[in-house]
Amino acid sequence: MTSPLLELAARRVVLLDGAMGTQLFQKGLSPGDPPELWNADRPDEIRSVHAAYFEAGADAVLTNSFGGTPIKLASHGLEDRAAELNRAAAEIAVSVRPPGRFVGGSLGPTGRFLAPQGECTESQLEETYSVQARALAEGGVDFLLIETQYDLREALCALRAARKTGHPVFTTLTFNSFPRGYFTIMGDGVAASLSALEKAGASAVGANCTLDSKDMASLVAEMRAATPLPLIAQANSGQPQIGDGGVTYAQSVEDYVSHIPRMAAAGANIIGGCCGTDPDTIRRMAEILKIPAAGRE
Amino acid sequence: MTEEKLFDAMQEAVVSGDKLRARSLAEEALGLGIDPARIMEKGYIPGIQKVGDLWEQGEYFLPELITSAACMKEAMEVLRPALLQGGRAASPEGAVVIGTVEGDIHDIGKNLVASMLQANGFEVHDLGADVKLERFISEAEEKRAEIICLSALLTTTMLNQKRLIGLLADKGLRDRYGVLVGGAPVTRAWAEQIGADGFGANAPDAVRAAKAIAADVKKRREHVERDPR
Repeated sequence: MTSPLLELAARRVVLLDGAMGTQLFQKGLSPGDPPELWNADRPDEIRSVHAAYFEAGADAVLTNSFGGTPIKLASHGLEDRAAELNRAAAEIAVSVRPPGRFVGGSLGPTGRFLAPQGECTESQLEETYSVQARALAEGGVDFLLIETQYDLREALCALRAARKTGHPVFTTLTFNSFPRGYFTIMGDGVAASLSALEKAGASAVGANCTLDSKDMASLVAEMRAATPLPLIAQANSGQPQIGDGGVTYAQSVEDYVSHIPRMAAAGANIIGGCCGTDPDTIRRMAEILKIPAAGRE
Repeated sequence: MTEEKLFDAMQEAVVSGDKLRARSLAEEALGLGIDPARIMEKGYIPGIQKVGDLWEQGEYFLPELITSAACMKEAMEVLRPALLQGGRAASPEGAVVIGTVEGDIHDIGKNLVASMLQANGFEVHDLGADVKLERFISEAEEKRAEIICLSALLTTTMLNQKRLIGLLADKGLRDRYGVLVGGAPVTRAWAEQIGADGFGANAPDAVRAAKAIAADVKKRREHVERDPR
């Protein structure tokens, strides 16, 4: 499948945005509250985060819908509002999208396990992701990003559901560094996972979260050897640390961005931030990657 | 089957994740009149410890840990009545209350630690997710637990681990309980910074820490009982 965004990724590195949750906590979101609720209650706050990332140079931003599957929203008693909150998430991001830039619908994990480890069935997962994907598509996103997946089987359920929208679907897994290499917590290896996602019709694949930018650059090299698809990499800014001034992340901005060129050289086509990154990080990445300002391409 | 062979088979059942066999071997051993505490100690516990080792070597992942913990549960269901009947503790390692702290609904890691603790001989009182700090303490008091285990997945909610330790101190109960913390953003440095008694980087690591803490708390309490000053 092709799309303007994928065509762009074939010409140069595409820059995604950074963290959303951290920005919202700074704006007063209570830790126990679902960020998706602000799509209905405080849309201007969400809009301003997206606008800041576009201004920083992001080619695409991800909607505030990471925890937006009905299964995940049910933990807050909000499952019946899934369609409304996801559609709103998409509309808010689309409303500040400059010409030539993009909006991706974010779909995060349900937090459940499939049988036999858990109670969920594949059809339940496919159904819950279908509700979310459909609403994000209705809200006007350009592509869908299934992200932070720790179980390849769940990622494949989400992918099947999301592809029904007809939009390009990107998928990222979260790999941890284990004694024998990079694996998801469920034990899915890099090469096997990426080729399974490719076979199932993902338009771009990759990794996000947990690893810092140094380790992520190494993982990109391993992923590049496993698939010809466009590769996505979104690293954390190291491990979180709590000090007197609140939460900080172990990697400084300087250290974080210093590994970005290696990530691109190793074959990442779509690069963004994850936990601990902010518009300033993205601005620095835009400079390093020489991303032209909106409308200058 | 000889006793030795039975114990080997139990270990193998846990390591390979064969729940039916884990249960039937426990029944068979009881039928032969083997002491249930000895069955646990020589048959099943070495099995779950091997599983922990395989995890640390990078051979096993979450699905294997979950399935092996379920095998332990099957065996325990068979052995518990016999243990209690013999006046033996079904959970010799001690009791814990465990939960994900207030404001945090993530429970995958917490559930895994709970089942691994249970599999390793702890009496586990799982309070669920989004648990009020006061409740951790009232349940620990009621259940006479040695350890309070606090999970947090968010950088915003891990602060509640620190608050709980403060709350224990305010109530004059800090010395009475061991506090074990864990969760994705939690590090050893954080555990030390907030004065927790231990830290679990993952489920097998949490079991190891819990054993050390429980032993320490029991010693501390004995000391207090002998010397009320």
